[in-house]
Amino acid sequence: MRRKGLAVLLSETGESRVNGYLFVLERSLGTFLPHEVMRDAVREIESHLRERIASAVAAPDERAAVERILAELGPPLRVAQAYSAERTIDEAVTTGRFVPMWRAMLHLAGTTISGFWFAIALLIGYTASFAFFALAILKPIFPANVGVQYVHGIPVGLGAHFPLTTGTELHGGYWVIPIALFCGTGIFVGTHRGARQFLAWWRGRLRS
Amino acid sequence: MPLDTWQEQLRRGGLDLAILLTVSAGPRYGLSLIQHLEDFTDLVVTEGTIYPILGRLTREGLLEATWVEDEAPHPRKYYRLTKLGLKRLADMKADWRAFTEKIGRLIDAAERPGRAAQ
Repeated sequence: MRRKGLAVLLSETGESRVNGYLFVLERSLGTFLPHEVMRDAVREIESHLRERIASAVAAPDERAAVERILAELGPPLRVAQAYSAERTIDEAVTTGRFVPMWRAMLHLAGTTISGFWFAIALLIGYTASFAFFALAILKPIFPANVGVQYVHGIPVGLGAHFPLTTGTELHGGYWVIPIALFCGTGIFVGTHRGARQFLAWWRGRLRS
Repeated sequence: MPLDTWQEQLRRGGLDLAILLTVSAGPRYGLSLIQHLEDFTDLVVTEGTIYPILGRLTREGLLEATWVEDEAPHPRKYYRLTKLGLKRLADMKADWRAFTEKIGRLIDAAERPGRAAQ
């Protein structure tokens, strides 16, 4: 490492190593942070690295010094994970908005086993609620294909059927619409509240 | 719970307070804050994980961040305590002291059962 004025110059290899670290960090942060926030975070980490490198100016082995500095900072994916845990879960719990909630759940699903199973449960809940909403929309368009399905006189489910199979009958008037809307809203609100409570619990766990 | 997990939770629990205490003496940039924490404690395990915490404390309004361009060859992001941060720090210090005092009393009582029973 050489000093030029106050600036510390790394060799091309050292510079590539540092830039490679920052590149991976930027890519990782870019998946969940807004662009401006991500740029600010990478700038701060770069500032940290340059500062550390400047204080290690007399190190005889540049490669070892750079590797030690990067190791002390932590692997870029771990640093990104720490940002993600602090930011996405925080935003999801505070705002309760759909997109941040999903972003936080996807983050947990990719990093923890319990988060993965909870994301699956969440997916099932949201899909079920959207299915009920779809029934309410489809009923006026295809009145003969949406309703309670009877197979050999036994009711087996509520849904839309295109086309009806033999031995199957559909019953149900337009009352299906408010029932579907009620069920869809109930499942959606229940799933969303459950997800928010889980994330709040997880945030508490992270900070404890 | 394994001892190392408990120690990790203890460390994390104290980190917010340690950061606010460090910044309370005057504005600090990330590395200077980390070095101060390293001088006095062993709370910093991975340096890179301090920055997201600083970001959260800033979002919560406890810290205020400013980039300073011309102080060093590279820009530095300085953090300073806000009024809200100052108030929170006072509350956290009081809570921490009360908590450690209670646990200390429990430890004393456990180590001297005869005296505690009196």
